[in-house]
Amino acid sequence: MGGLQKKKYERGSATNYITRNKARKKLQLSLADFRRLCILKGIYPHEPKHKKKVNKGSTAPRTFYLFKDIRFLLHEPIVRKFREYKVFVRKLRKAYGKAEWTGVERLRDNKPGYKLDHIIKERYPTFIDALRDIDDALSMCFLFSTFARTGKCHVQTITLCRRLTVEWMNYVVTSRSLRKVFLSIKGIYYQAEVLGQLITWLVPYQFAHDHPTDVDYRVMATFTEMYTTLFGFINFRLYQTLNLVYPPKLDSKAESELKAEHEEDYAMDSESYLEKLSALSASLARVVATAEEEENQLDLFPTEGENMQAREKEQKEQEAQKRLFEGLKFFLNREVPRESLAFILRCFGAEVSWDKSLCIGGTYEVTDETITHQIVDRPDMDKQYINRYYIQPQWVFDSVNAQMRLPVEDYFLGTTLPPHLSPFVEEKDGDYVPPEKLKLMALQRGEKPGKSRAELDSEEEDEEEEDEEEEEEDDEEEDDVDDEELTEEKNLKKMEGTRVTPGKVKPWETGSVGNKVRLEQEEKAEEKRLAIMMMKKKEKYLYDKIMFGKKRTTREVSSLRCAPAKPTRHITCHHSKVQT
Amino acid sequence: MAAVKRLKRVAAAQPGFMSFKSSAGSDDLNSGQRKRVNKNKKKNWNKHSDIQDVEEFLDDVRLQERATGGLISEKPDDSLFFVDIGEQRKYVQPEVQEGKKGKKSKSRPLRIDLILQHDSLVPPPKDILAHQQPNAKKLRRIAENAEKLAAMGVLPRRQKRLLNRRPAVTASKSKTAANNFPDRPYYDLWGGDAKETADPYYLEQTGKKRVKRPEKLNSKPSVLPAVEVIAPGGSYNPDFFSHQALLLEAHEVEVKRERAELRIERQLAVNREDTATEETVFQELVEGLVEEEEDEDEEEEDVSIRGGLQQEKKTEKERRRERADKIKSQQKQAARVFTDKKQQLFQLRSIQATLKRGEQQTRERVAQRKANQEAEKSMPRRLGRLRFQAQDLEVQLSDEIPGSLRTLKPEGSVLKDRFKSMQKRNMIEPRERAKFKRRHKVKYVEKRAFREIT
Repeated sequence: MGGLQKKKYERGSATNYITRNKARKKLQLSLADFRRLCILKGIYPHEPKHKKKVNKGSTAPRTFYLFKDIRFLLHEPIVRKFREYKVFVRKLRKAYGKAEWTGVERLRDNKPGYKLDHIIKERYPTFIDALRDIDDALSMCFLFSTFARTGKCHVQTITLCRRLTVEWMNYVVTSRSLRKVFLSIKGIYYQAEVLGQLITWLVPYQFAHDHPTDVDYRVMATFTEMYTTLFGFINFRLYQTLNLVYPPKLDSKAESELKAEHEEDYAMDSESYLEKLSALSASLARVVATAEEEENQLDLFPTEGENMQAREKEQKEQEAQKRLFEGLKFFLNREVPRESLAFILRCFGAEVSWDKSLCIGGTYEVTDETITHQIVDRPDMDKQYINRYYIQPQWVFDSVNAQMRLPVEDYFLGTTLPPHLSPFVEEKDGDYVPPEKLKLMALQRGEKPGKSRAELDSEEEDEEEEDEEEEEEDDEEEDDVDDEELTEEKNLKKMEGTRVTPGKVKPWETGSVGNKVRLEQEEKAEEKRLAIMMMKKKEKYLYDKIMFGKKRTTREVSSLRCAPAKPTRHITCHHSKVQT
Repeated sequence: MAAVKRLKRVAAAQPGFMSFKSSAGSDDLNSGQRKRVNKNKKKNWNKHSDIQDVEEFLDDVRLQERATGGLISEKPDDSLFFVDIGEQRKYVQPEVQEGKKGKKSKSRPLRIDLILQHDSLVPPPKDILAHQQPNAKKLRRIAENAEKLAAMGVLPRRQKRLLNRRPAVTASKSKTAANNFPDRPYYDLWGGDAKETADPYYLEQTGKKRVKRPEKLNSKPSVLPAVEVIAPGGSYNPDFFSHQALLLEAHEVEVKRERAELRIERQLAVNREDTATEETVFQELVEGLVEEEEDEDEEEEDVSIRGGLQQEKKTEKERRRERADKIKSQQKQAARVFTDKKQQLFQLRSIQATLKRGEQQTRERVAQRKANQEAEKSMPRRLGRLRFQAQDLEVQLSDEIPGSLRTLKPEGSVLKDRFKSMQKRNMIEPRERAKFKRRHKVKYVEKRAFREIT
């Protein structure tokens, strides 16, 4: 027994953490400034594993930060700016109190400001890092740009957010990188693929704001401050990659077209420019005038033949998808959400216009004879042109998600719409797939819609179709679904001799080709049976269990499919309305 | 003397100078003998020099200025003389007076203004430099020179220095545009790295080198995605089953909440046994009045019994028997253990089974713990005083589902969704709005004006 006695809480986790208040004092900042700094620098509170040790024996809930993080914060130059600002406010207040107006003016002229560029560079060392983290920034900027200018936040912030989002939308339109859209009750979800990164963002519906009281606007504004800086730099870089002029300029041709109308009475030139940009109806000016789209060929590598082919095919599909609406001419009625529809349609190469009184930037009138589709969202139209389709807006969204132009019949004026399915759901095999999705998949495979509908009507056929699908997808699947006993019996018979098993005649089993296919299949089944026989007892048990589970899910799914002959919407929830 | 003479000469040299006093200077010049004095002393000069003529002259000048507002000799003839052409008619003045008759007092200047008026006839001293320029020649020469140089295209040094000066740094420095300035410029932040040219040691020592950000800070505090897409049932025009699934989920949340509420209510409910009945009230009143006799009796008995036992003593025979019993039971125990051990040989299989079961259990627990840890990564942590409270699920009931996009009524708030998402991803700690706390009591005072009315 020698040496000094170890004191408690002087080493270990107690020294690795620091409470928020202590950190604040260490940095000599007010709580609001400290919070702002943490948000800007990306330093988040941390929950210690052993709270009692960290909290020096107390179990009171506290906010902890890692000590090293705070030490890192000490080096931040912005901290000094915050302190300067604090002093500035104090001086200003004093000058006001003494009614020293020249002093006030002088102070105001020398108001300390700070830049976030170096923080962005530090947090995102490369451009791709920044692009990966843009989801938040996008959602936030889109949200702020829809705010009313009522003093909940700075008007300047709103304007800046609007500018950035318009730039982003213009980029997506020009690069044609939109992939998915989902109209939810919350807002509109978009997904785009930019430089190989999948980027999802949420755009609120217009005029859908009630300002919730339990949201800290200061925190949100700080996040937005950081995100606008990040977002602007990303936009600049993205515009560079496409050879576009950065503060986006309209094409000179398009600009003159738009200019032709009398808009002097609309707004000042400088004011209406952003609106013209946000109309999305014109293309942007490029740094170097080039041909509109160069076909970029994939480099051919002779070593990977099959892989290459597959990739090439994929590429082709993508290209086709990008030109989904090319050649179509749309007109938006005034009751449809103009911005989102114009954005989506332009993303896929369509021409869009709208009423002149609705928004600036419409390029042609309703009376234009070359319009192919008019998007309408009202039960009836008085005057209809014969050579265009009158469709509901959902057609556009569904077509984008299906990556093909869907038949317009289901979306005509006044018809009941098919459900709008979420493109973000990916079903695993055995999950319940809504019949509409099945139909869509059939359409995508190139089958005729009429046939699939007939199949849907009767359940048995439906099931058969399901079977077919599964067989197409995976040969093993079929065996799993069948009863084990049946296969057993089959195999026994096969052992005796090669006899044709009595069973239902598969559609493709005609001629020698069909025979060959069947033979192959049987061989596979045999192999599988042998493999099962060779299994250890434990593995066999596991295998049986898996099979049982699969069978159960398929049974449930089939029962689900049988249950409603026609799903109606009039099933009401028998619980009181869930509080929202 | 010489000075006076010169002055006189100057005055006389003035063309057409007229002295006001005709007699002035008639007697002075010719007064005979001079006094002989030393002229090498200032005192003598002051005493004996005759300056009367100069003073007279200056007096005359001053008088002229005072009386006539300038030297008479300088005045034009028009101001000195007039042509007498008989009496002048004055008919304009009475008319004006008639018009202003009513406001007679107003038309007349105030007395105070009259007092303040400048009535001295002495004009302010004349600026001599107005007519003549000091160094005029030199300046003219310089200007000529500069003109010549400008014609040749050579700029003067001062102008050159101005041009060479750096653009004002201070102006831009002081006006750091706010970060939310709508037209703020952006640039290529990730463009080619500007290499530090300065000595790294110097930068480090002067604190100009940025501290490297720890790699650990770049990891996100949660694995959840930034934007969580709503379930397919949240579509504006959902598929029937997915909508039902979402409804069910919302229902379960609601049931859970209701159950919690009920539990609290149950805990708060008053126990019926706790309420006072007539009987219990009476019992309480009587408490302590009725004596408990039975207890005392029992105690006495106890004491007597114990006393009896204590007094009894074990006999030798009893002790021997006890000892034998003890040995016997020990032997029995040992035999039991031995047989058990022997039996265990035959139980090997079952023991092995239990061991296996135990191992299996451990493994399962390990797996479970791993799974829990994985799940915890996506769970909101406890970061402050408050726990994270999930947002209410956005759901539209079956009869609220709109038929078309036009009639859609958005549910929930995106702002709140974003805010909660950040809390869920452990980026900010959940907080509640600071409550307003009044420090001093409010004093209500009736105003006097109000009190008078009532």
